[in-house]
Amino acid sequence: MMERRDFFKKAAAVAGATALGTSTVDAGTTHQPISNRKVGDVAFPEKRPLITFSDRPPLLETPREVFTCALTPNDQFFVRWHMPDIPTYIDVDKYSFTIKGLVDNELKITLKDLKEDYEQVEVAAVLQCGGNSRSAFSPTPGGIQWGSGAMGCAMWKGVRLRDILDRAGLKKDAEWLAIQGQEKAAYYETPNFIRELHLDELDDHVIVAYQMNGEDLPYLNGFPVRLVIPGVYSDSWIKMIESITVTDKYQKLFFMDHAYVIPDNECECETPEKKFPKTKPIWKMNVKSIIGYPANGDKLTFKSQAVVRGVAFDGGAGIKEVQISLDGGKTWDKAILDSGKLGRYAYRTFRYSFKPNKLGKLEIMAKAINKLGEAQPLAKDIKWNHGGYKYNGIDVVTVEVV
Amino acid sequence: MNIMKKTILVALIAATPMMAQVKEKIEVPYISFPIKMGKGFDTVQANCLMCHSFGYILNQGRQSKKFWEGKVDKMIVHFKAPITDKDRKIIVDYLFKHYGNGKEQ
Repeated sequence: MMERRDFFKKAAAVAGATALGTSTVDAGTTHQPISNRKVGDVAFPEKRPLITFSDRPPLLETPREVFTCALTPNDQFFVRWHMPDIPTYIDVDKYSFTIKGLVDNELKITLKDLKEDYEQVEVAAVLQCGGNSRSAFSPTPGGIQWGSGAMGCAMWKGVRLRDILDRAGLKKDAEWLAIQGQEKAAYYETPNFIRELHLDELDDHVIVAYQMNGEDLPYLNGFPVRLVIPGVYSDSWIKMIESITVTDKYQKLFFMDHAYVIPDNECECETPEKKFPKTKPIWKMNVKSIIGYPANGDKLTFKSQAVVRGVAFDGGAGIKEVQISLDGGKTWDKAILDSGKLGRYAYRTFRYSFKPNKLGKLEIMAKAINKLGEAQPLAKDIKWNHGGYKYNGIDVVTVEVV
Repeated sequence: MNIMKKTILVALIAATPMMAQVKEKIEVPYISFPIKMGKGFDTVQANCLMCHSFGYILNQGRQSKKFWEGKVDKMIVHFKAPITDKDRKIIVDYLFKHYGNGKEQ
């Protein structure tokens, strides 16, 4: 709990510093997200112990040190559910999901059908919660106060959603897809977790996946079948798919129209006092990088060769470079990127070697720039939004050179 | 189109064996979160735990009365939690007393 207190002290200091005569509540400031939370004592099914926010529904965060590898191990991959009732047993021989609505042939697709009757494709893609790093925002936006570990990258294998829809045959007025998972609320009246997808947003990268990094999907990551939408935030990647309904009209939905939304203005920002009236669902991810090693508080040896490692990604334009600063952002030096063979939706790992030549505290900063020239801003330059979404500040890790 | 083809690797596999990694029901562990006891706790337990663990409450940190009111109202309005007016007040008071920051707004 020590970290928690430290965080509030820090947050209060930040808010105080920017206030200068105005109310501290007005400000809406942003700083580094909470870091160095410890993993829990208890392992969840098919997982190693992870940072544990909740058991019902399960909410688990991946610790920082995992973000040195291009593919996140399944047993360390973050977990986020919305409803208390998630199926804990699925009979793979009986499981199927349906394609219904404005189609010529309604389909009931079993796992066997999926694996045997369609072309099998793979895509490496980052799955990130829109609220990842939410703990960076002050005042606290409602929602899980994630550090930077509500994300992971996996090699997903499955079938193009387009191929499935082609087989079902879309009717002329088909326009929207409503994808529903199997998680259930405690009350019938609670809105279901459904995602709407416009057919124009559906390209060949969108797949219905049954495999992750060469293994079955873990239960807690949506076994047996989930949607994969590379480049897009994870609230759209419906888990444990139950049905896909084709419609001609958009249905107003709680999770899309109220929960996972940002201000529909250019800066996608607002103040806590004056929320922007028009909102839009979160969708494409912005450019971001995380330092996997070292972590805050680590000790590096004076004049020895040190290495900084991490991952960078964006919404699919692809990472152009990652730069490191060791002098508080005054000068930046290029890190070495991996080959990028996993494709433009996956993590690019980076590494940077240097000799720490000054004793004491050292701040290491990492900034990713994508192929569109979009660069990560400093944490303090990110504007507040009420949901605490899309934080992508330059990651800063403070180590000690001894 | 070219980039797209590069990222999607087509694997032609004739048949994949139907073997599940987990053949039985999974058990999600029960985590005991250090929630504070006090006046109104029974009401909090009866209403909030139906849908989520106490982890959700603890994770919000210390907040204003307005924040906690907003949270409880969200459960009622959007998630349709059947919380009565009387219980609503008890829950907000409990949350503000134990997880409040002393500020009304």
